[in-house]
Amino acid sequence: MPSILPALEWLEALAWATAIRESNWGYPIMETAHVASIVAFAGLVMVMDLRLVGLAFAQTPLTRIQRPLFPWQMAGFALSGVTGLLLFVVDPLRYYGNVFFRVKLVLLALAGFNALGFHLTIFRTVGRWDEDPLVPTTARLAGAVSLLFWSVIIVSGRLIASNWFD
Amino acid sequence: MSQAYRESLWLFAVTQALHLVAVSAFLGAILIVDLRLLGWGSDRQSHAGIARSAQRILLWTGLAVLVTGIPQFTANALRYYASPVFAFKMALLAAALVFTVTLRRRVAGADGDRLPTWMPRAVGAVSIALWLGVAISGRWIGFSE
Repeated sequence: MPSILPALEWLEALAWATAIRESNWGYPIMETAHVASIVAFAGLVMVMDLRLVGLAFAQTPLTRIQRPLFPWQMAGFALSGVTGLLLFVVDPLRYYGNVFFRVKLVLLALAGFNALGFHLTIFRTVGRWDEDPLVPTTARLAGAVSLLFWSVIIVSGRLIASNWFD
Repeated sequence: MSQAYRESLWLFAVTQALHLVAVSAFLGAILIVDLRLLGWGSDRQSHAGIARSAQRILLWTGLAVLVTGIPQFTANALRYYASPVFAFKMALLAAALVFTVTLRRRVAGADGDRLPTWMPRAVGAVSIALWLGVAISGRWIGFSE
């Protein structure tokens, strides 16, 4: 299998990537924006998940929780995605071999599949159970899985910086 | 005890990681109400019910934020004590807490019709600014030494 290392080395050597990496403010600003947007995004997903698993907002129909939040979830995800990509691009070799970085990427994909699966299947019938305090088992499961995945994503994101396996 | 904890790099990192998870859920419960107060969360009329339920999340996750936050401080008390960014975060946190349990609580718990329209909007905007400010300055502590 061809290695992607040469591509990462090429990225790292780019003039603008080097400039950001070596500047005093580049990393702190990108990292702070990344953390702030990811906690805001994850929080807006978690409150919806808490409704799904039945721990909060039981008296409010699910769609009246979720529909208004959706654009903000997307905005938070976009900002954390852009800042995350920037953090990677300016210093790719720092992250590439990091076990917590890899765990984070795999879980991001799994969380995406979970959300997609939820929207394409059980959520289509939401009209029938929107007001139920206790939603169908599949939907509750999707909420619990989402809570777990996003928590582990945040934990592994923090642990990238203190990788004691290096 | 504090010394052993400080020297255990992974224990500190894990505490901070769990702190972030608790902060996320706390911030979510703040934002879901604030966005409604701003009028950007569509139906205004339901915000009192949502605020009541959000308050329970705030209490539990707020407890988790404290339990994971205090050991970080006690392990590095002198360093944090000398950090202006830490002092700023604590001042902002105090302001955010006072604002949340007084004015914000009144406005979020009231029915939309009884208040002038600018009031929930102003309260939502101030609340978002305060709490995001706490989160941002919290991350910045680590860059300020």
